Amino acid sequence: MRHTVLRLIMILAIWAAPARAQEVLLTLTGAVTDGRVDITRADLAALPQHGYATSTSVSDGRPRFDGVLMRDLLALAGAKGESVRARALNDYVFDIPISDFHRYDVLAALTMNGAPLTARDKGPVWIVYPRDDHPELADIRYDMRWVWQLVALHVE
Amino acid sequence: MTGLRARYLWPGGLVLVCLGLLGLAAGQLVALERQIRVSATENMIWIFGQTQAEALNLALALSGDADPQAIQTRFDLLLSRLTLLEQGPQRRFLEAAGLSEPLSGLRADLLRVDPLAGTPPEVLQAHVTSLIATLRGNASLVMAHDWQTQAARLDRLGHLHRLALAAVIGAAIAGLTLSAILIDREKRLMRARLDRLRSDQLASDLTREREQSENHRQFADLLAHQLRTPLAVIDSAMHRLTRGGKPAPPDLVAEKAAVTREAVARLVHLTDTALLMSRLDSDAITPRLRDHDLCELADAVIADVRRAPPRDSDPSRIVLSQALTPAIARCDPTLTAEILTNLLRNALLYTPPASPIEVELQQTISHVTCRIADHGPGMTPGCLARAFDRFARGEGHGNVPGSGLGLTLARHLARLQGGDVTLAPRAGGGLLATISLPAGNEP
Repeated sequence: MRHTVLRLIMILAIWAAPARAQEVLLTLTGAVTDGRVDITRADLAALPQHGYATSTSVSDGRPRFDGVLMRDLLALAGAKGESVRARALNDYVFDIPISDFHRYDVLAALTMNGAPLTARDKGPVWIVYPRDDHPELADIRYDMRWVWQLVALHVE
Repeated sequence: MTGLRARYLWPGGLVLVCLGLLGLAAGQLVALERQIRVSATENMIWIFGQTQAEALNLALALSGDADPQAIQTRFDLLLSRLTLLEQGPQRRFLEAAGLSEPLSGLRADLLRVDPLAGTPPEVLQAHVTSLIATLRGNASLVMAHDWQTQAARLDRLGHLHRLALAAVIGAAIAGLTLSAILIDREKRLMRARLDRLRSDQLASDLTREREQSENHRQFADLLAHQLRTPLAVIDSAMHRLTRGGKPAPPDLVAEKAAVTREAVARLVHLTDTALLMSRLDSDAITPRLRDHDLCELADAVIADVRRAPPRDSDPSRIVLSQALTPAIARCDPTLTAEILTNLLRNALLYTPPASPIEVELQQTISHVTCRIADHGPGMTPGCLARAFDRFARGEGHGNVPGSGLGLTLARHLARLQGGDVTLAPRAGGGLLATISLPAGNEP
């Protein structure tokens, strides 16, 4: 009985790993390749990885964020436009000019202090600005662009 | 000086105090602005509202026929909001509002009924219902605290604005006072300067008045002295003619008449000189300038002097050198004759009886000069320096009649015509008097 359970868990783990890799994290629509691009965890892992520590407006200290650059993500999807409408899990939407991603190293962060972001905190994806490197970013107008629990981007 | 310093002290102090207040207000305003900027990002009312909304969403999903995946998502979202409430800035806000105790442990409590751990939906639903009630019960308190904080900040802002305004008004008043004091000081200085100018004017007026009065006194002395001798001479002559009761012999009458006439001539000359001087002093003489032959003029004057020479002198000693004729000068003949007469009579009076007096005319490009050279004792440098001063008499000439005005008058008259009279020692002894006058236009 115990063996059966153990075997089941192993099978599940073997099955779950690629399934987790193939999990669609972000959906890009609008002015992207073929009008819709689904980005999986594997797609993100294939992109160059970046990270930095920065303060945030909702927490203390300077947690370290790792993930991919938003501009790399948009390039991957062949996005051509002026701005993206970011949508969160709770249907929070916010328009972000694409010029931000070229001017600053804006991250699509997947981990915070090495721990994967989950929907129970700010995950799976949190848009993070290098707030400490540019004084002008420590402002309510930019803090509102830190969309957490990001699930979709509509390029316009 | 102390009073003045004190007058500057209090407005200056007020300016400093006001500037200090202004700096304080500016500093506090900057700090407050930063605080408001930071607190704007906290946006606690919105965060709390979102938490309530997610709790309601989960309750809604549980009450309907939603699939377990959707319920799980809603659960995760509510959990993420409770996580947010427990993090740094949000936790501090709730502590300050006195809500940390009723709201603490909400996240841990919710995790205990995680559907992933197999919690039955009805248990979860009951838990969520009680959670919604807790949140609703505290939402108004969150809002109240938020607005309380905002209102307190606005109060402080208003207070700082009033402080800054008061400081500005105070500085303006002090500045105005300082400028008023400065303007007042400037006015006083100006008035003092005017007073000084006026007093200088008065002092110079007084000096001139004194000089004039001294001149008059000396003149009166002189007249008294100079009038006395001829009058005494006339009196003595008259007395001699009428003495003894019988008619005087004709030769005596002739002699005394000559003496008397000479004395009268001196009196007339004295009064003429005095009159001319007085007219000169009051600028009443306007020379009538024409071209005249100075040689001819000198000739006529010499003839006059010869006709009426000063007492006991031999006018034939005067020799006019005729080398330059005509010598055209631009002058007033009457005034020039007066100058020449004066200088010639002086030469006759102050030189030994037999010595020659040479009169010579010379011409330069701009001037015609007449030089009168004598072979007398000359003058000491001291005498020469004072010779043209009013009432100056040569040394050792107390017994020679003279007003002390002759040379003064001569120089005045020459200058009036654009010329001058100068005295210099003659080479080989004696004195050299020179009249120079502007050359005339005619060749």
